[in-house]
Amino acid sequence: MSFDASAKRGGHAPDRQDRTFWGRLAGWGPYHTLMRLATASPRRQFLILAAFPILWVLTQHLGPMLQMLRVSLTDAYPVAPGVEQSFTLDNYARFFGDSIFWMPFFRTLTFAGVFTLCTLLITYPVAYFLARHVSRRNQMLFLLLLLIPFWVGEIVRTYAIMILLGNTGAVNLVLKTLGLIDRPIPFMYTSFSMGVGIVYLTALYMLLPLYSALEKLPQSMNEAAADLGAGAWTRFRRISLPLTIEGISSGCTLVFLISTGFYATPVLLGGPSTTVFAETIAGFFHVAGDEWPTGAAFATIMFAAALVITAAFQKLMGALRKGDRK
Amino acid sequence: MNDRPELFRGNRIFLACIYWSFVLYVFVPLILMVLMGFKDSKFIGFPIRSWTLEWYVGVFADAEILSTFGYSVAIAILSTLISIFVGTWLAVLLEGRKFWGRTIIFGLAVLPALVPGIISAIAFRIYARWLGIEPGMGAIVWAHAVHNVPFVVLVVMARLSTLPRSQIEAARDLGADPLISFIRITLPYLVPAILGASIFCLLLSFDDFVRSFFLGGYEPTLPVLIFAMLRSGMSPEINAIATVALILTAVVGIWAERFTRRMNKDS
Repeated sequence: MSFDASAKRGGHAPDRQDRTFWGRLAGWGPYHTLMRLATASPRRQFLILAAFPILWVLTQHLGPMLQMLRVSLTDAYPVAPGVEQSFTLDNYARFFGDSIFWMPFFRTLTFAGVFTLCTLLITYPVAYFLARHVSRRNQMLFLLLLLIPFWVGEIVRTYAIMILLGNTGAVNLVLKTLGLIDRPIPFMYTSFSMGVGIVYLTALYMLLPLYSALEKLPQSMNEAAADLGAGAWTRFRRISLPLTIEGISSGCTLVFLISTGFYATPVLLGGPSTTVFAETIAGFFHVAGDEWPTGAAFATIMFAAALVITAAFQKLMGALRKGDRK
Repeated sequence: MNDRPELFRGNRIFLACIYWSFVLYVFVPLILMVLMGFKDSKFIGFPIRSWTLEWYVGVFADAEILSTFGYSVAIAILSTLISIFVGTWLAVLLEGRKFWGRTIIFGLAVLPALVPGIISAIAFRIYARWLGIEPGMGAIVWAHAVHNVPFVVLVVMARLSTLPRSQIEAARDLGADPLISFIRITLPYLVPAILGASIFCLLLSFDDFVRSFFLGGYEPTLPVLIFAMLRSGMSPEINAIATVALILTAVVGIWAERFTRRMNKDS
């Protein structure tokens, strides 16, 4: 325990010297006065502690989002000298006016939803196996094995998928060697290759919440159900699923939000028929400045839509959980 | 672990198959990518008939690539220092203290982690412009720092919640002021969490593409360089660069995992 350790360490000579340093600091006039002023009242002490972090989150965390919203409502940004900037809703109107914009928008949301579902279906059994069928001692090892690839960056892993699925890639080579195909299947630059890549990138964010939810599940429940004659499917549906709905809900929310934000992966793995909204938004920032407000408006629409969907999803999951308790 | 394995034997075998398939899914692409970096041909694709180290020699001889490595590492270190400072302060404010608006501040503290990548990148780009920060190293460091703060907050808060309050009270009884009791008791207790969070931030920053891409100047970070090279075609040289990056991140990650585990056990 840390308590014992520090108490023991306190008895050694070097620390005593150290203590005199702190003691001397505490007794040093200017420091003493400063401290007395700072801690004169609990209220003042709290203000000193809270001022910087609160200022930080307001200016650095909230600031960029608010500034994006503000820019999305103007007609020009960055403003050229001598030009009046004025309020407008045109940037939002532009989105609804052209199918070239809302097609990728709905595609992104559909893709994100489908990929989230795929991630859930793939990682649930993996998390289940880890939490229920691996001994405690090995659990960390098995989990760590899965964590290793996830420390590798987005671009490197996207590239790895490109090599795997290319026309001369490993999958096509295996299929060809087995004699199943004679011409390579064009996996790349389709929604399939994009799905493989995005599920690869997001799986961990689903796996960890699921794992921690499943780990808390008491094994006795499953045994009792089995003794009462419940089959594997019934046990899953009536016990594991309802009790891990919180993990499912947070995992899906996280993966959905992350999936909507990918830019490099769709660019590298997708094709012209799978353009996502991130590419549309990015397009406005590669050109001259006056397109920034439109890009900002589109990003705001995207973020709002993603938030509304995840909020609705969480509400649904919450209702499911309550309904189950009855 | 099952006390009565015979009950769930069939499930177990089925689930084990899924687990190991998943392991293959996450490892095989990376292994293939590493192998391809040793291929003695400019053409990416299987099968590999002859092998070479020439691509690696090329990477380590290329001053531009090496300086990109250094640039990425420098950005990672600087942004991590800021994130740790701010994140720890936020965690100390938020943990175990009730005040009006605490939930709002907590929500804002974790907000950057929840904003989808592209949206966060362009919000930062607009804000940097507004603040007058030119695209380049400063802008990237700032964006990475803000983006990584939530992870520090969550990790440090989790550790703080297990801090024995009696130690602080004892120190205060012995006459330590809040600052000294923080430096001498709270901070040492937080070291494992801070180290763990630092490594996580370093890796997040080193691996980040979208923020570096939108906030970068002419000098690319490593992921941006790989992306730019990929747009002009695949080549084993990219594999060699990516492999070096992969080894760097995986080694740091594994080391950090073991290190923080040991520190957590010790305390």
